[in-house]
Amino acid sequence: MNEVRHYVTVFGYYAKLAIQRQLEYPLFLVSWLLMIPTQYFTGIWMLKIIVDRFQPLSGWGFHDLAFLYGLGLLSHGLVVVFFIPTWGTEFAVLRGEFDRLLLRPMNVFFQFVTGYFNFIGLIDLIPGVVIFIYAANLVGFDWGIGNLLKLALVVIGGTLIRASLYTIIGAVAFWTKRSRNLIFMAVATMERTTMYPLTLYPQAIQAVLTFLLPIGFISFYPAEQFLDKSTSLELPLGLAIWTPVVGLIFFALAYAVFRFGLQKYESAGS
Amino acid sequence: MAIIEVKDLVKEFVVVRKKTGLGGAVKSLFWPEKEIVRGVDGLSFDIEQGDIVGYIGPNGAGKSTTIKMLTGILHPTEGEIRVCGMSPQKERKAVVRQLGVVFGQRTQLYWDLRLGETFELLKRIYRIEDKRFRETMDILNGVLRIQDFIDTPVRQLSLGQRMRGDLAAAMIHDPTVLFLDEPTIGLDADAKHAIREFILTMNRERRMTVVLTTHDLDDVELLCSQLLVVNHGKLVEDGPLDAIVNKLSPHRLLMIELNHSAALPDHDRARIIRQDGLKVWYQFDKSAITASELIADLSGKLPIRDLSVQEPDIEDAIREVYRTTA
Repeated sequence: MNEVRHYVTVFGYYAKLAIQRQLEYPLFLVSWLLMIPTQYFTGIWMLKIIVDRFQPLSGWGFHDLAFLYGLGLLSHGLVVVFFIPTWGTEFAVLRGEFDRLLLRPMNVFFQFVTGYFNFIGLIDLIPGVVIFIYAANLVGFDWGIGNLLKLALVVIGGTLIRASLYTIIGAVAFWTKRSRNLIFMAVATMERTTMYPLTLYPQAIQAVLTFLLPIGFISFYPAEQFLDKSTSLELPLGLAIWTPVVGLIFFALAYAVFRFGLQKYESAGS
Repeated sequence: MAIIEVKDLVKEFVVVRKKTGLGGAVKSLFWPEKEIVRGVDGLSFDIEQGDIVGYIGPNGAGKSTTIKMLTGILHPTEGEIRVCGMSPQKERKAVVRQLGVVFGQRTQLYWDLRLGETFELLKRIYRIEDKRFRETMDILNGVLRIQDFIDTPVRQLSLGQRMRGDLAAAMIHDPTVLFLDEPTIGLDADAKHAIREFILTMNRERRMTVVLTTHDLDDVELLCSQLLVVNHGKLVEDGPLDAIVNKLSPHRLLMIELNHSAALPDHDRARIIRQDGLKVWYQFDKSAITASELIADLSGKLPIRDLSVQEPDIEDAIREVYRTTA
């Protein structure tokens, strides 16, 4: 218990410092405030155009797609707030930043991830929330307490799945000294694969995105359930439970990979 | 029991031999020529509590690599390390709690924020109680005078101020061993003096063990009770500075300036190595004859106007070690 309090206290102070640091550069904040919402609102606009001009995608109309997109953006926003340092693992390895973390008597992964609480990333969350609420009303989402609880579990699980993927890919830098391009690839892939119904893709890719990289659990499978569609993956207990379970398992795996990579860490420079 | 024990320490790095030109680059891509390089090659030494140990050697001798293994940052390829009786790799958290570490070329201070913020963060990381924290800050402030710039953003500090800040940050949790990797690099004479005073004070008042790497031999001369000299990852000398210097250059010089020219007498335990006008240099072995004996012997035979005894140059001695072990 004492240990937990210690970590919470340090996290709180890290967050305070990160916010102070980000407020040192207000212009960056403003540019981000303009850029990020634009990016996501154009994203949903594209979905509308695709459906309007062509046809529903594997039976998913614009309302359903907007719901899927909004649900995915929620966990994306949270990852950007809480796990953004994983995107920069390459820099941390190249600059020897893990030296400092290894010299302090706390868990290295904890220090690495919480060391930069991305306050500005909350801006990423705004379009996510707006789009989700808008779409939820379009599809007649039941805002009952049970459903909200399920939603919370799905969003937390989705956040863990995304964070795990970035952690593993980032950790490649421990071996190769490079992982930034892979991270960008993962970001783009994840955006695409959480935006459209998984059933659009060939069976083999569906299998990969379910079992190997469980991206399907971030938004697609839970959305199918929330929207009462015939589910394309048969699992007991409903998918709202499976997203956090898969998230936790994948996160444990990601942590193991990170630890293993850290053993290979060759502190750079003198 | 020694506070740091190192036995048969080895660190190997895999280096990929790059070939020149585009053809070479393609070849390296598919058939990389890997080579194993030993950065640290069978080091063994003990460091006793309360010593200030200079860990010196030319660039690339394996100094930083050794420090990084002693502090748990790098894992050794072979060998044993005990710091405060524990393995820095297996019991990292327990070991690093006892360590203060400063890398002169880097900083652990938050660049964008006022200096004091870093101390506040460290207070929470090391779980230091308010009262104890204030006491430590007072002590550190007394020696390092950080109060003058504690509210200045780190990016606006001079290098000397930044180094004082980094030293204070490394000391905030009252470590038993302090590792300093080139702590005086790039500093002016004043700042160097402040840092050396600080090291001596902490060592004297808290029996703090200090291990420092440096290229500045004034640091070595003014601070270190013991020296470890490494080259090519191997220990080449080990002991107190004057013992090493004596071993390498046991000779002293006696310079005599004469009133007028005179016949120069020979001496059985000193020999003339240079003569320039009215000046004469006698070289003698400190263990064979003392300077005063020699002066007494010569003063009856020579019209002496002035004289001086010259100690061997440390820098020459150290350079000699590097050269002979290269």
